Amino acid sequence: MTSDRGAAQLESANAIRAYQREWLEDTRQRVKQGEPFAICNGDEFEEVFNIMDIPVIVINYWNSIIATKRMTEYYGDVLTKRGYPANYFAMGLASTIDNDPETAPWGGLPKPALIIGGTKSDTEMKVLEIWAREYGCPFFPLDFGLDAVPELPKYPPPPRWWEMMAEHWDGLIDSRRLDLRVEEEKALINFIEVTTGRKLSMAKLEQGLELLNEQEMLWGKARDLIAETIPCPVSLRDQLAVYQAQWHRGTVRGRDFIKAYYEEVKERVENGVAACPNEKLRLLWMAGTPPSWAKWAEEEYGAVCVASLFSSIPIDSYYRATINGDVMRALASRHMVLFLETPDWRLKDAKIHQCNGVVETANPSVPSFNKKLFEEAGMPLCQIPRDRDDEEVRSVLSNFIETRLLS
Amino acid sequence: MRGGERLTSESAFEEIQRHYQQRDLAAREWKGNGGKVVGYFCDAVPAEIILAAGLFPIRLSGDPHGRTDVARQNVIPRFTAREDFVHSILNMLLTGEYDFLDYLVIPHTRDSIHRLYQLIAMLKDSDPSLHLPEIFFLDSIHTTFFSGGLYNRDRMLELKERLEEWSGKKITSEALSRVIAITNENKVLLKKVAALRAAEPPCVSGVEALQIIGSSMFMLKEEHNKLLKEYLDGTDKLPARNGTRLFVSGSPLDSLQLFEIIESCGATVVADDNCWGNRYSDVLIDTSLDPFEAIADRYHNRSPCSRMYPMSRRLEYCLQNVVEAKAQGVVFNVFRHDAAEIWEIPGKTKALEEKGIPSVYFRNQPYLISEPEPLKASIEELIEKIQDSQ
Repeated sequence: MTSDRGAAQLESANAIRAYQREWLEDTRQRVKQGEPFAICNGDEFEEVFNIMDIPVIVINYWNSIIATKRMTEYYGDVLTKRGYPANYFAMGLASTIDNDPETAPWGGLPKPALIIGGTKSDTEMKVLEIWAREYGCPFFPLDFGLDAVPELPKYPPPPRWWEMMAEHWDGLIDSRRLDLRVEEEKALINFIEVTTGRKLSMAKLEQGLELLNEQEMLWGKARDLIAETIPCPVSLRDQLAVYQAQWHRGTVRGRDFIKAYYEEVKERVENGVAACPNEKLRLLWMAGTPPSWAKWAEEEYGAVCVASLFSSIPIDSYYRATINGDVMRALASRHMVLFLETPDWRLKDAKIHQCNGVVETANPSVPSFNKKLFEEAGMPLCQIPRDRDDEEVRSVLSNFIETRLLS
Repeated sequence: MRGGERLTSESAFEEIQRHYQQRDLAAREWKGNGGKVVGYFCDAVPAEIILAAGLFPIRLSGDPHGRTDVARQNVIPRFTAREDFVHSILNMLLTGEYDFLDYLVIPHTRDSIHRLYQLIAMLKDSDPSLHLPEIFFLDSIHTTFFSGGLYNRDRMLELKERLEEWSGKKITSEALSRVIAITNENKVLLKKVAALRAAEPPCVSGVEALQIIGSSMFMLKEEHNKLLKEYLDGTDKLPARNGTRLFVSGSPLDSLQLFEIIESCGATVVADDNCWGNRYSDVLIDTSLDPFEAIADRYHNRSPCSRMYPMSRRLEYCLQNVVEAKAQGVVFNVFRHDAAEIWEIPGKTKALEEKGIPSVYFRNQPYLISEPEPLKASIEELIEKIQDSQ
């Protein structure tokens, strides 16, 4: 039911929120009983662990929990004392070095059986190797994570690449790199089987990919409902909270989380429930966390952030059909390319969500790649100096809304 | 080009120094005689195959004292690893300092080099009128497993094919074998220099050694071998060097600045683990194998670069070389935003401490050392600590 203050939080989103903490506690108990647990960098391999029923924490997710608990400064100091840079990617490593369950979010992580990550950056490879050494567990590096084409500037993404990702992903990936990645992932599965005693079969892998695709498809249907419904039925906060279900993709639980989400969104649309009944303007927020100024913009102007950087990732990026029935190759392709950060993709999102404008934080050292394209397409873009609800940000937003969107 | 006369050891070294200082000297001469020049970055590109194609290979370096304004105007000023170095190279490319290059091979090594590839490719796309060489991206993996070795070998084969296109002639096994013999000889001669530098007492300084090794990457190898032999013939007369024996580890050093500062404090850099230093020459190509396969093997299994997995190899390499060179202390130098190096240093420092070897760590260093005094003070402190402990 809609009140003046908008709809209550989605039950399906709250269920996911609650489950995450429960999941870690359950994992801790399972590890105590001798079961394996893994740490894996985002989008490298995690669904295979899910399919093998090995609990896995995704590094960027764990780092975001640390950040949410406002512990980055504390853990930055832990790293500095050891002689390492206070790097955000290394927050999980810092929590392990600190070794204080009382201080760590959710009581900290249990000891993993192994750590998986990529070699794609100077930092990632080093941090993960050091982290594994701290735990006394193996680190298995994989090449070409999210690095599909060696000569990207020479071969720019084709127009409307997102329409190729589900069925024609082979046109976006260098097949030579993919061949090696498949080999490395097979070797990793062998290694996991030996290390943990768990087994993987092709039947299970196929089932996992089907569940993954079903989950992402349902997510896409929910996205479509949110995009086409005015006023927006789901707050951006809830849309983003649901994203945690991505860490369970490839499982019945992950699929069911998003099934419940889709059904709740559908119910809201059918019942005319609005996240913000005062909605007058729709914005796309170019970030992955809810904006600090959202409440102010809603109350002051009825300007509602209805979409974010994450809105279309599930359906545009995660869904993968097999080509020639090769499940390993389809999954490995997922690990090599998730999405291609192009302004036309973001513009498409702003359009399908029926946005009046787009807001992004400006980086003084990086000219906006989006501004020209968006403005030329008639989609006003506002650059705010930072994501904070302060006088300066309000002033920039007020000026943008009043002069570009309301005039 | 010098005449056929035999040089004295001193003159040979002066010639080596000349090529280190004027790095484009030999390449421009080659180009002037109608030859084609292939530039490359890092020690990960097989110069042997370039030579076997009849092309002139030259490793590109930046210039810490040079300008960066043109690069900064032309390139999106986006954060990048080792930004000063990247901008220096781009500036040199954009202002014609590298206008003798016909082709450029860029390997997939550390982030800063990969970024250079992207920036050069973008510049070429955005403004075809810019006089920039044709580029070849030599993809490679960062693990050192067998399957990755096969991937690297296949990419090297593609490079060989591209070089054949560029030179207009097939690269035969005989040509590769001939070049391997010359480059292996070069590495053996450089190892002799390394031995003189690590001798007790040393008779070659770190500054001299860096010039000798570096010039090898700017000249034809036969020419460098001749100079090296002439230089080595007279090294028995070189005076012994006194002072504390130090080892240098850290970011790639394509200039003499750091070694000059260290040795101005009365120490000798007896060895290093740098790709512009000893690491360049310490693994030879196996002449018992098929020449192309042997080259591919050598580059996959060369002494570990900090961009390669696992880090434990890097640690072992550093410790082994510190011990073998009987270094009394270690200087770690890491450039700003050089993430490949920065994570290694605490582990190395700790391992050295356990062996009773002190070290000093210069972190977040600019490419150009404009204020040497603080570094000098730290080095003098390190030397004092070493002397006090004796």
